[in-house]
Amino acid sequence: MIKSVDLTRIFLTEEVETTALRQVNFNIEQGEFVAIMGPSGCGKSTLLNIIGLLDNPTKGKYIFLDHDVTNSSERQRAKLRKQNIGFVFQNFNLIDELTVFENVEMPLIYLGIPTKERKQRVEEVLEQMQISHRKKHFPGQLSGGQQQRVAVARAVVSNPKLILADEPTGNLDSANGEEVMNLLSDLNRKGTTIIMVTHSQRDAEFSHRIIRLFDGQILVENFQSN
Amino acid sequence: MLKNYLLSAIRNMAKNKFYSALNIIGLTIGLVTFILIFLYVRDEITYDQHHKNYERIFRIESSFRIGTKYDNFAIVPLPMAPALQLEFPEIEKVVRFAGDDNLLVRIGDKEYYENHFYYTDSTVFDVFTHPLMAGSLDRCLAEPNSIVLTNSSAKKYFGNENPIGRIVLVDNDIQFKVTAVVADVLENSHLKFDALMSASTLAHRPGGEDFNSMEPMRFWNIGVYAYVLLSPNSKIETIFEKFPQFYEKYMKSLGDQINASFDLKATRIDKVHLNSKLSADLPTGNNAYIKIFSIVALFILLLASINYMNMATARATKRAKEVGLRKVVGAERKQLIVQFISEALLLTFIAYLLSLALTSILLPDFNTLSGKSLTFGVIASPDFLLLFFAISMLIGVISGSYPAFYLSSFSPLKVLKGHAGKSGKANQWLRRGLVLIQFFIAIVMIIATIVVSDQLDFLKNKDLGFDKNNAVVLEMQDTSFRKQAVAFKEHLLQNPSIVSACNSSGVPSRNLWIQVMLVEQENEMKEMAVILTQCDYDYPKTMGFKFVEGRDFDKNMGTDDTAAVIINETAAKQFGWGEEAIGKKINYGMELDRSGGRVMKVIGVVKDYNFNSLHNKIEPIIMFISPQPRFLTTVRYKEGEKNQALEYIEQSWKEFGNKRPFDYKILSEMQEESYGAEQRISTLFLIIASITLFIALLGLLGLSSFTAESRTREIGIRKVNGALTGDIMLLLFREFFWLILISFAFAVPVAIWQLTNWMESSFVYYTQIHWYSVALSGLVALIIGLATISFHVVRAASANPVESLKYE
Ligand SMILES: Nc1ncnc2c1ncn2[C@@H]1O[C@H](COP(=O)(O)OP(=O)(O)O)[C@@H](O)[C@H]1O
Ligand SMILES: [Mg+2]
Repeated sequence: MIKSVDLTRIFLTEEVETTALRQVNFNIEQGEFVAIMGPSGCGKSTLLNIIGLLDNPTKGKYIFLDHDVTNSSERQRAKLRKQNIGFVFQNFNLIDELTVFENVEMPLIYLGIPTKERKQRVEEVLEQMQISHRKKHFPGQLSGGQQQRVAVARAVVSNPKLILADEPTGNLDSANGEEVMNLLSDLNRKGTTIIMVTHSQRDAEFSHRIIRLFDGQILVENFQSN
Repeated sequence: MLKNYLLSAIRNMAKNKFYSALNIIGLTIGLVTFILIFLYVRDEITYDQHHKNYERIFRIESSFRIGTKYDNFAIVPLPMAPALQLEFPEIEKVVRFAGDDNLLVRIGDKEYYENHFYYTDSTVFDVFTHPLMAGSLDRCLAEPNSIVLTNSSAKKYFGNENPIGRIVLVDNDIQFKVTAVVADVLENSHLKFDALMSASTLAHRPGGEDFNSMEPMRFWNIGVYAYVLLSPNSKIETIFEKFPQFYEKYMKSLGDQINASFDLKATRIDKVHLNSKLSADLPTGNNAYIKIFSIVALFILLLASINYMNMATARATKRAKEVGLRKVVGAERKQLIVQFISEALLLTFIAYLLSLALTSILLPDFNTLSGKSLTFGVIASPDFLLLFFAISMLIGVISGSYPAFYLSSFSPLKVLKGHAGKSGKANQWLRRGLVLIQFFIAIVMIIATIVVSDQLDFLKNKDLGFDKNNAVVLEMQDTSFRKQAVAFKEHLLQNPSIVSACNSSGVPSRNLWIQVMLVEQENEMKEMAVILTQCDYDYPKTMGFKFVEGRDFDKNMGTDDTAAVIINETAAKQFGWGEEAIGKKINYGMELDRSGGRVMKVIGVVKDYNFNSLHNKIEPIIMFISPQPRFLTTVRYKEGEKNQALEYIEQSWKEFGNKRPFDYKILSEMQEESYGAEQRISTLFLIIASITLFIALLGLLGLSSFTAESRTREIGIRKVNGALTGDIMLLLFREFFWLILISFAFAVPVAIWQLTNWMESSFVYYTQIHWYSVALSGLVALIIGLATISFHVVRAASANPVESLKYE
């Protein structure tokens, strides 16, 4: 499903050159649940952004769903992204001015799905995430755990093939964190590919495979059997 | 401490170059507009206040009734002022001014044509204050044949030579000796003169008018501008109260005979310029426009201040952290307020300096536009600089205080936790509201500009009921030339480019002759004051009047030159004749006892034509054949052959020995001259609309930049969730689209209401406000508005979401 060849990402800022990723090679198959781990600043988010078509590699090659997207335009990548990828962030990234319902509905609007069908799918997903009683609330009125469930709902509402989660439990206590992890593995069991950045060994144990990054390079890949 | 605030203010300004520049530009433009309008208005409202006794000087004016017709004049009968002085001890001095157009003035072998020469009483300098430059004011106009020149006239006639004692030949070579030179009359004087000649000169001329005769008939001839100087503590009302006795003594018996009456009016001289609406007045100002401009000046200043408040609070989010930190390290709220206000003050101070510079650069153009002659000296005077400095600083304090109180109210705890931006919901509405107000005003001004220009077009293009195109009007000032008018006309008609020509006492838009005559009613002849034109046989034809009844003058009838009169539709209606006007009698030129006169029968009725500007409704007018040539000759030429015709006319003009230089007026322009005020307003509205729109656009630019900045996170989230760049652009544009649309919705009724008021009160004939003019103004605002924000919108929409979603 995803394949990278000598993926390198260099940031240039005010004469300082940071190599965030150094010739990274990996393969991720459909249906996998992969955790990316490593110390702060080692390039995890950078890698996730490239995988999620939000960023471009400086060198190397990146193939997403059999498309070579290394040199594709912003517009093409945006289209691929909205049809195939859902994002979950550490800080939820919900829009404060929109209700829970409207936040979750957003990806469907941009996919051009008609109102009636949107309503139905949002209701379904909210039900699934057990947050439908809060659909008229604003994010500011929810607890962190609830907000992250909304964020997950938004990520899956368009039935993406791939979900990218960047430290999804980083801002949650362990009980709420575990709940979110359960949601993600449920989704994975139903066939969604999940790639997740995490600091927590406990969270990583939900995955099939752990990619460990250190200073922009893949250190080890552990396969686990669960 | 102060240095500290100042330094921090400067640093902050340098850090936010974009916002600072927007603010300074906006404020500078606002201030420049304000200064210019301020100077203009101050000049307008201080007319004639430079006369030491201006609070005691009144211009006396006439209110006449002749038959059933009332009219108010800025001039009074010749003996009025001296008679008043005889009767009323409250009057200390009186002075009269009698002028003539286009006087021929000769110095040696040089000739000049002058318009501002007046015969005046010797008391003139006792009443008015005019600084002496040379000679002596004492008895300077007491002797006949004395003349007082202004500095400029003296320079013009005599260069640098001493003018005192020199000879000036005026009119038909009457000799005048220069007795004094006074300073040029200040621009803001309602009566401007280039020279004053002793009135006693007239009495010493054969057939000359005796300035001092008090014959009863003279009280019923309108004549001169007259001023009275009241003794200290006297009131003009006292004279009004006692005027009926005066009327009884001097005027009543003759007035009753001619079915007329008179009442005295007066205006203090400093009020003449803005408040006079009288016939035969000197050029005056317009109070309504002064009000409009003052309001506009304040609004523009308000708009510019709004921009500052808007942008300063918009930046609040960004500066919240600074405030939080300052508070944590011990800054008190008071100190923060002082700091933010000093930032505003610094900004206004820079704008103050820039606007002074810009004003002095723009002053010459402004003078051309406004017809003033303001100088840099006015701006550079210390009291003006101080006043204006105070105003600028006031703006600084006011516009700085809202952001100051708002910013300084941030709680350090919340701010440092990163919650500061979220307090901005109400704040955001306020900001939108402010931009909404700016656009509201800008759109009102755009609509006004378009409608005023529509009205001007309408005034110029309306069918006036006569053919105003392809005709020129010649003034027959030279009396010996005028005597040859018939031959001159015949001569003109020989040229193939000339279609027709006529001679008349008036033409449309030049009709001041009004006289009492007897008009046939049911069973009697009744006095009525009627406007008239005396003309030749070709006048109706040359003007292109259309007959609705009867016929044109006809030489073959034999009697038309004495017994025929043509009237307009309104006359037929108002005389009560309706459809049966033909054959009705009018007696013109009868004696006081109604004997004699010229009895004429109506032979034709012409379709109403606008013989006055479209400010006025059409009144009754009559025309009949004049026994002798009159003042105006109108020549109609073939379409497209104007130059050939004019060349030939000029040549004939000289062949006939006309002593005056060749000059002519274009008939269509004579009408349009009355729309000078509207023309000027139209230009001014265009400028003001541009300024308000520009300031509103600065506001919009600031708001869009702020919106783009404060919504980057939201935009990032939307993009990550599938929004394409185009979706985001649409989202942002839509917001501003609505903002402008709402301003438009408010602006339309207000503009239409105000403009309808203006047109109804100023004109009898006016254009409709077209829906497409209104729509056009909305479209202009929308397109320019959206173009202005597009830079920020495009930049925000195409930003990489990764950047905006990075958390610190
Ligand atoms: N936009 C950027 N500009 C410059 N440097 C960046 C940028 N994004 C990340 N980096 C640098 O790249 C390295 C990897 O960052 P990141 O992928 O965010 O690390 P992680 O998510 O593993 O903590 C860091 O040294 C970081 O400072
Ligand atoms: Mg990271």
